[in-house]
Amino acid sequence: MSTHIGPPSGTPEESRMDPGEAARLLEQTQAKSRRSLDFRAPWIALVAAAVALVGFGIVWLNVRNQHPFTGPSPVSLVVLYGLIAVRIATVIYARARARSGVSGHSVTVQRNEAVVMGGALLVWYVVLIAIASSGQHDAGFDWSLGLSGTLIALAVLWTGRCAIHKNWRELALTVPVALIAAAGAIAGPRGMWLVNGVGLCVLLLVTAAFARRQRRGTPTHMVRTGA
Amino acid sequence: MTAEALDPLIHVPARLQIMATLATLPDGDQLSFKRLQDMLELTPGNLITHLRKLEEAGYLATSKTGSGPASRTSVALTDDGRHALDIYATTLRGLLNGV
Repeated sequence: MSTHIGPPSGTPEESRMDPGEAARLLEQTQAKSRRSLDFRAPWIALVAAAVALVGFGIVWLNVRNQHPFTGPSPVSLVVLYGLIAVRIATVIYARARARSGVSGHSVTVQRNEAVVMGGALLVWYVVLIAIASSGQHDAGFDWSLGLSGTLIALAVLWTGRCAIHKNWRELALTVPVALIAAAGAIAGPRGMWLVNGVGLCVLLLVTAAFARRQRRGTPTHMVRTGA
Repeated sequence: MTAEALDPLIHVPARLQIMATLATLPDGDQLSFKRLQDMLELTPGNLITHLRKLEEAGYLATSKTGSGPASRTSVALTDDGRHALDIYATTLRGLLNGV
């Protein structure tokens, strides 16, 4: 439903505001716009937290008693990748909704970055498959490289991107991801699934709480402009 | 300082909302007319009137892509527009702080 703000076109001069009203309107409009254009809603982080805990948790339950370690069962991997697919779908949906109608430089840059990240990930998986197929290492090494190595590589790449864009908010998320993955690597091929599942879940819950707090609005003394 | 010091072109609810919304976009980005209309809940006629005034002042630029029903009009703040909004916000802050 559309509502008129201000007078109909053609009236002499439009309704005036006192400075207090104007300040409130400026802040409210900017806060609302940022919320509307930002796809990182708290529910997105909550879905990711659930995916990390359940996905990695199921694999951990599957491998925790393996002696010697042989790797996750195909069923647990299907569940894990299915949950990851759900996570990717939610991000794509939320992003498309939030960024609808937005075009220009940042959109092109983000598209190019996604292509580079996707390409890098593809090359990484080809290398992983080649290492695993060579048969020179045990399953523990292959899976540690596959999970912890992938998470660390992704986190490092994303940290570099955040530093280039001076996006400190995201950087505060990518650095702990790398640290959690490193802790997982130390925990070994069985423990790493639990460490990554719990660690990422806690980190994402904190992120969701922070995003929710930020979205509640801005204090009235913060009259400012700019992105 | 009095309220007269505020840019009269921006100091109107609908135009202040338009400027504030476009200012949240990064430099070099545009917003489609339709999305801007949805975000501000203005009628198309009302929005066009205000956009025209801001465009005439050089505060924003519109661009049209495509043709016919598939055409899309996008709107972006110009450097002058961003600067004018910065000055407006600074003046507003000064007024509220009793400067």
